[in-house]
Amino acid sequence: MKTTNPQHPLLALLSIPAFLFLVIPTAIVVPVALNDSRYITFPPEGISFAAVAGFFADRAWTSALTASLQSAAIAVVIGVLLGATAAIGLHGRKFPGQPAVVGLILAPMIVPTVVLALAFYQFFISIGMVGSIVPIGLAHAVIATPYVYLTTRASLAGLNPALVRSAQSLGAGPLSVLRHVYLPIILPGLISGALFAFSVSIDETVMSLFMQSPGATTLPVKMFTDIQFNLTPKIAVSSALLVSVATIGLLLQVLFVLKRRSSTRMLPLAVSAQT
Amino acid sequence: MSNATLERPRPRGRGAPVSAEAAPRRRRSGWWLLLAPILAFDVVLFLTPLGKLVGASFADNAYQRVLEDPLVVRALVNTLTISLASTIVTVVLGYIIAMVLWRAGNVTRVILFAVVLLPFWTGILVKNFAWAVLLQDNGIVNAFLQGIGLTGAPIPLLHNRFAVIVGMVHCLLPYAVFPIFSSLTSIDDRLGLAARSLGAREGSVFRRITLPLSMPGISAAGLLVFIISTGFFITPVVMGGPGDMMIANQIDYYARQLTDFSGAAALAVILTVMVSILVAVYQRVLKAGGQHEDN
Repeated sequence: MKTTNPQHPLLALLSIPAFLFLVIPTAIVVPVALNDSRYITFPPEGISFAAVAGFFADRAWTSALTASLQSAAIAVVIGVLLGATAAIGLHGRKFPGQPAVVGLILAPMIVPTVVLALAFYQFFISIGMVGSIVPIGLAHAVIATPYVYLTTRASLAGLNPALVRSAQSLGAGPLSVLRHVYLPIILPGLISGALFAFSVSIDETVMSLFMQSPGATTLPVKMFTDIQFNLTPKIAVSSALLVSVATIGLLLQVLFVLKRRSSTRMLPLAVSAQT
Repeated sequence: MSNATLERPRPRGRGAPVSAEAAPRRRRSGWWLLLAPILAFDVVLFLTPLGKLVGASFADNAYQRVLEDPLVVRALVNTLTISLASTIVTVVLGYIIAMVLWRAGNVTRVILFAVVLLPFWTGILVKNFAWAVLLQDNGIVNAFLQGIGLTGAPIPLLHNRFAVIVGMVHCLLPYAVFPIFSSLTSIDDRLGLAARSLGAREGSVFRRITLPLSMPGISAAGLLVFIISTGFFITPVVMGGPGDMMIANQIDYYARQLTDFSGAAALAVILTVMVSILVAVYQRVLKAGGQHEDN
């Protein structure tokens, strides 16, 4: 099928540095974390789990890991519930004001994170909700929800609304329609949406930085604070943990794409999470 | 069609049979219940905080104050120049990668896609940390440069504008590859075949067919990348020097160092308005380019 457009040798040559540029930084993270040295170097001088042990023995880092997992749990649960209900609610329907509703649902993706961080910072102080992981988790839920909405909407694209009506006319109640008609169809979208939501939350730095408190410092915030003084083995271990999470997400996404055979469907749509 | 009439509110229900009227009404209310959670959530936790932010920005003559601050002016200039430079590099690299993806066979394509998506899934701090390790004075890039005899002493590659652009391009590349790739795949393969059969060389096929027809992808990628660039916060701090701070860093400085909320809010509103205008242009470009990705 692709024999009509053979790879041009010059292009292939040019692309090697580009692909190396993409891969090398992520590829060195795990070796750096397992480096047998007190200093951060690449290539590593030997393999050692000393830094990993040091990371898990350090209260500051383990509580940061806990905080990150808690905020991600809040973001995933809220994101899945709100994103999925919205996608189902809007499926196959046209009504005045619908573009505005969709716009509102997607809007958190285009507002720069630093702006949201400032807005949440002020807002949660003004309602006296500070000093815990909850406001951080809620903030992550705000930016994670549009992803779940989009992935669920994509998986609903093939569902004919007439199917829902026929189930209803045969006497299926709302819950039974949700369970037997919608759920099987949206499940892949829900799973990849939950994955996105988890990844958005676990990597989010700016909002967590603005809203941090002694009990609620997430992994990226701890890394960001430490990295400004020194590159330490514990930052390397933390990076390696996050890279492992990223690799799992990526593998699942690739499997998903392979199964669906639609490589452009899962475009990275994020604007907000990556700055 | 029948769907629409079923769900529209029906004003004249008096004469209709009870059972026929009750069913659509129940369905209608269920449908609103599904939208209610997300609308309530976004109104309380998204629109309200942003509304308060906009409100705060009008206090204390904040706009005039921040725009007269030379640090802010410098951050705005930095934001524009760094974003522009990152965008150009990202689109060029993205184009090369998209071309390779486009021409790759199915299996190679999936593997290369994974390579492109890897930085997308990796958090920004991890990526910047890795670049700091690579670019530090005793890092592998400097070792390589010394090894091939290009330099005797380590070149400072970190904590300067070069490093900021490297870090940003690495984060931004996936966003450029996908729009360009999707405009390349919409080009009819037979155009290239026809040109080649009429004697056109690879270079002129690219210049006169591929490049012009992928222009919508290039402009979409450029805009999207530029939009994302303007909000960068972490990379200038981790990889830049004191002279490389961007507008997001200035917002942080006003909010957390000066505790000047109205000033920070005014800057945030300026950034949001800039980004919103660019997003509107971006959607125009997507529509004009006929890309079916409606997001």
